[in-house]
Amino acid sequence: MENWLLLLPLFIPLAGVPVTLAFRKNRNVQPALALAFMLTALAFTLALLRTLLTTRQPVTLQMGLWPAPFGITFAADLLGVFMVLMSQLVLAAGLLYATGSTEKVVQYPTFYPLFLALAGGLTGAFLTGDLFNLFVFAEIIVVSGAVLTAIADDRFGVEAAYKYFYISMLASAFFLLGVGSLYVAYGTLNFADLATRIAANPSAPLAMAGLAFLTATFLIKSAAFPFHFWQPDFHAAAPTPVSAMLSSLVVKQGVYGFFRMTTLLFPDVELLKTLLVVLGVMGVLYGGFGAAGTHNAKRMLAYSTLAQVGFILVGIGWGTPLSQAAALVFTFNHALVKAAMLMLAGAMASRAPIKSASFEVVVGVGKYHPVAGILFLLGGMALAGIPPLNGFISKLMVFWSGVDAAQYVPLLIIGLASILTVIYVIRSFIKIWFEPSAKVKPKAGDRLIAPALLIVLSLVLGIWAEPLVSLAQSVVAWIGDPALYIAAVLGGG
Amino acid sequence: MMNLIIAIAIGALFGAGIYQILRRNVIRAAIGLVLLANAVNLFLFTAGAYNGKAAAYTTALEQTSDPLPQALVLTAIVISMGGFAFVLSLLYAISTRYKTSDSDDVKGLKN
Repeated sequence: MENWLLLLPLFIPLAGVPVTLAFRKNRNVQPALALAFMLTALAFTLALLRTLLTTRQPVTLQMGLWPAPFGITFAADLLGVFMVLMSQLVLAAGLLYATGSTEKVVQYPTFYPLFLALAGGLTGAFLTGDLFNLFVFAEIIVVSGAVLTAIADDRFGVEAAYKYFYISMLASAFFLLGVGSLYVAYGTLNFADLATRIAANPSAPLAMAGLAFLTATFLIKSAAFPFHFWQPDFHAAAPTPVSAMLSSLVVKQGVYGFFRMTTLLFPDVELLKTLLVVLGVMGVLYGGFGAAGTHNAKRMLAYSTLAQVGFILVGIGWGTPLSQAAALVFTFNHALVKAAMLMLAGAMASRAPIKSASFEVVVGVGKYHPVAGILFLLGGMALAGIPPLNGFISKLMVFWSGVDAAQYVPLLIIGLASILTVIYVIRSFIKIWFEPSAKVKPKAGDRLIAPALLIVLSLVLGIWAEPLVSLAQSVVAWIGDPALYIAAVLGGG
Repeated sequence: MMNLIIAIAIGALFGAGIYQILRRNVIRAAIGLVLLANAVNLFLFTAGAYNGKAAAYTTALEQTSDPLPQALVLTAIVISMGGFAFVLSLLYAISTRYKTSDSDDVKGLKN
């Protein structure tokens, strides 16, 4: 089915880039304008979701009216729109946080345009139906994320941006090698066309090379173990509104890539799924211990992302409908909670005597901010998976799907490793809110409205989880039937 | 014959690029990145060159090369050029801030 509604969630943030840049001299208008663009895009995403749920058909659009395998295709199936909804919800909260931030970086004229470019890149990556186009959107995300980090108030922002950008350039090289290999093997880059040709001839020369290169690319993009080494540096040094987006959304681009690979492109390659389970379990362990051993609140949350992405990869790797639904719910909930937690950690750091999230500096800062403490505790409970927060629902679904798939060994390891979450969350909570400190004085800092909204949403989705879970189950029903996607892209036109 | 020469050239570029990337000097690492990006672009370019003799608009179909990878390479070249410019600007900021070109000394973020 063809519908121009598909382009609006993508083009509105991208159109916002030049418009907000034109208002760079007007410091009062620019933030509100950026937020307005983001909320408009979010509204159209909701409309698109509604269209998909009523027609039960993916929405496709062929650029320039070239028919499917030849032109550039945009295709919104329920998986893509689910990810876009998650991204734009959190991005809007991030912009809201930026408007109330005391950091110097939000005063720069290019901050809001770059933020909207990040939003456009994420949306495009989830909505495109073409492998090379995905590469281009991935580059938009990388460049805007790296520039936003390089201009951070943190004096080590340049170093973090350098590490991230360098490793991302290598990931782009892998991506292009994968694109080239698959093009040699099958002569097409359209997802739907590629899927039919791979199904017809799974062992074409260079097909497995393409699979391996794409796997390496998405492992770097999702910062999964053992490709995570740049991630804690990068997420800890980025400005708070940006690091909340990087840790919650940008890593999900790799997760989305694995969803597409295991359900549409290479559904029969068991080795890939096994690899995802093994690396996911390692990530859960490594991230848990890393988070428990670090001395910086933002760095701790970055390691925690490594562990939580591990849970998601395990869910994708098990590959049953139940575990895929669990991975989707986990993806959504983690995005909300991790963004809120990083914002809270950043807000506390902005109230510390010197601006840093290091435990030596933020110790005792929470004394004058009990509301932030309650929010942080609720968010920590969600990370650890304690009811009634949404994290409980996601972990319950992962464990339940593991029992269902009879995967007891990985289940036991990730079950034990998730106890580490409780340890490091409680440790950081006690450090910031209960340990007395003589140096702390009441001080104005970043506004808390954005993390508060996200935590309230987490609480609502923990108590009333049914809409999200049933949406995830419909997504799984859609991706379990690739013929629907292929017919929508190749058949219509 | 031509295929062999191109294959050896791509292999040599890959080898040189990976060797430079593994060096500790950050400027050599940046040059390695460029070599690697160009090796990848050449690889992508050869993905479409079946016989590589005639231009895409001719009617001698059995001799034409596929124009799509050429378009992809153009995009990839532009992106890698922009990326390399940004890497160099980051290197400039790092060298003024850390007073070193040894990547082992750029370690301000260790906790």
